[in-house]
Amino acid sequence: MNFKKKECVAMILAGGQGSRLYVLTESTAKPAVPFGGKYRLIDFPLSNCVNSGIDTVGILTQYQPLQLNEYIGNGSPWGLNSSAGGIHILSPYSKSAGSEWYSGTANAIFQNISFIDRYNPTHVLILSGDHVYKMEYDRMMADHVKNDADCTIAVLNVPLEEASRFGIMNADENGKIYEFEEKPKVPKSTMASMGVYVFRWEVLRRYLIEDDADPDSSNDFGKNIIPKMLEGGHSLYVHEFDGYWKDVGTIDSLWQANMDILGECPMLDMRDTKNPIYARNYAHPASYIDPEAEIVNSYVAAGCTIYGKVYNSIVSTGCVIEKDVEIHDSFIMPEAKIQNHSTVRYAIVGEGAVVHANARIGDNPQFYPAEEWGISVVGKEKEVAQNGVIKPKEIY
Amino acid sequence: MKVMGIIFSNIYDSKLGELTNHRTVASLPFGGRYRQVDFALSNMSNSNIHNIGIITKHNYRSLMDHLGTCSAWDLNRKNEGVVFLPPFADGNMASVYKGKLEALYSAVHFIDNPLYDYVVICDSTVLCNVDYRAAIKQHIKLGSDVTVVSTASSANKKRPLILRTDESGVVTDMKINSEPDADELAGMGMFIVSRELIVKVIRDAYARGYTHFERDFLQRTFNSGELKFGVYRFDGVVLYNGDIESYFANNMALLNKDVRDGIFLPDSPIYTKVRDEAPTYYGKGNKVSNCIVADGCMMYGEVVDSVLFRGVTIEEGATVKNCIAMQGSKIGKGASLECVILDKNVTVTEGASLKGTPEHPVIIKKGETV
Repeated sequence: MNFKKKECVAMILAGGQGSRLYVLTESTAKPAVPFGGKYRLIDFPLSNCVNSGIDTVGILTQYQPLQLNEYIGNGSPWGLNSSAGGIHILSPYSKSAGSEWYSGTANAIFQNISFIDRYNPTHVLILSGDHVYKMEYDRMMADHVKNDADCTIAVLNVPLEEASRFGIMNADENGKIYEFEEKPKVPKSTMASMGVYVFRWEVLRRYLIEDDADPDSSNDFGKNIIPKMLEGGHSLYVHEFDGYWKDVGTIDSLWQANMDILGECPMLDMRDTKNPIYARNYAHPASYIDPEAEIVNSYVAAGCTIYGKVYNSIVSTGCVIEKDVEIHDSFIMPEAKIQNHSTVRYAIVGEGAVVHANARIGDNPQFYPAEEWGISVVGKEKEVAQNGVIKPKEIY
Repeated sequence: MKVMGIIFSNIYDSKLGELTNHRTVASLPFGGRYRQVDFALSNMSNSNIHNIGIITKHNYRSLMDHLGTCSAWDLNRKNEGVVFLPPFADGNMASVYKGKLEALYSAVHFIDNPLYDYVVICDSTVLCNVDYRAAIKQHIKLGSDVTVVSTASSANKKRPLILRTDESGVVTDMKINSEPDADELAGMGMFIVSRELIVKVIRDAYARGYTHFERDFLQRTFNSGELKFGVYRFDGVVLYNGDIESYFANNMALLNKDVRDGIFLPDSPIYTKVRDEAPTYYGKGNKVSNCIVADGCMMYGEVVDSVLFRGVTIEEGATVKNCIAMQGSKIGKGASLECVILDKNVTVTEGASLKGTPEHPVIIKKGETV
């Protein structure tokens, strides 16, 4: 079969379990975790691809892919239902000589070399399915081509004191990388890898095959492929990104990223129409706001019925917030129900969860010492009993 | 047994005045998120009717834009799907059709498809959530030639078709453009008829110069006893948007929970075109009370008893009461509106004041600035 040659194919790593999101990813993949009222995490890399003119995307799934597969469908919400390219779900499969799960980020791509080869791309863009950011990959690609690089890594300037939590790139004044350090104790620079890579496909392909043959490798881009390419004398460059970016791998960062879309001049602007984030929309009527409702500095998506009070929060598609409920500084995921007289503070309430009457979820941080403080979480489809209490930091 | 659908997009345009100057009744926005045709299409799609012709006459660009490939209604299909049926003016038709019956002649080639046994014919004026499968069952059980989907109607409201039936549902009296008595039913502009019969009726009407669906087809064949008429009685919520006053009142009726629950059923959703709008943001100083609000709005002012479509901006100090604001309208600082219908992309300037009544709401035309 003949496929049209593509300049660039994007591969989204969406197989991670996201174990630090606990109950929120018990039965779903991290990229399918809801965000911002009507989105899911995978919407960010997918929409960024489309907004950057990339029309061929492979999604590597492994952990609990049902909801994610269903959400992606034929890719039409992102305009990726194309016959020359489009969206492809790539899960591990059995082969004549044994079969294996994806054992690392590089291994996942290795196992799909034949998929990429079909499009004979010049470059391959490697992305994560669980980062919240708006980025024009075409600008990065332009840098990559201009530098005639074999690999370009998107980096973000982080505060020096946080740099030891990231993979740090040390580069010369032209942006050429001479050293990569994974979580260095004494960081030499503040350029943190965002997990967004462009590779020249012919070079990456070779390294993936070599890496697979190495029994000591953990088959990871950061740990293995990048260091080996540096060793091999290839030209690796950084591409500096100065927008909003967040890895929402923890409860706190997921909550914080949601709070970051609120306000008059939000850090992450979901209303900006230049690079919109697309999402799959469902058949919900418009929301109903009752005379007793009060909603301040909050987002409310479609299909909600609001009788209670909502402050500094996000209420997602299809929620019911009953009378005399108070919600403060919280993220309510789709289809959740909060019944009469309950209060929700500094919390994440999971998809389809039901909080029965008079329950108390979370509290205010000022009443707690730092070590006892944390965001409260109600898991997907969990029910909090009448008069139930979910303490700060508690994960139900 | 296979069923096809026919939807009229333009009938009763004239009574909706400025709202249908540049669009069909079918593409008239309704209820914050929908176009009227969404109800007709969703009912058919949910009833497993997947081969649908939409009869259009003029101004149907907005309708084509809204429907696209019809994938939102699950009607983008390999073998069936939605077909636009614009006027088919061959040498024999002197001009574009006048009545529904004549309009059907333009569609006769589409309808006369031997794969289908029954045809559901429906207007875009009546909004409800009806299961046609039950209506077809009733049609067969009663052995009717024509089944009229009907509802109890409050007296003193003029309706296109009024019916009286016996206990079994067989029609015993039929009136056109009249007011129903307490024990009479009002037709909902939805008819079930066998494919063979409707094709014969259309060809016959064309040969004899008949144009009016209700008078020349229904009433004439009923009075002569030629055909047997039955009723499928629908007891759910029915919103009849026959004129501007009822259109306005029915939008406001959605503020009532019973009406919403009766028309938006979880097992048979009303589908509509998908848009990529952020959720609605409620900013400082907003006071929103008893409102229907779609996605993508920005709320800073006071809005009471109103229906807001997607992307409406209400600036600080504005007061909006009993209004319908369609997609993309912007209401400036300190403006005051009461009983106003803002068509798409209207701008109300700072401090402007407009006031209508529920019977005669002020209508601001698409794209205007006031």
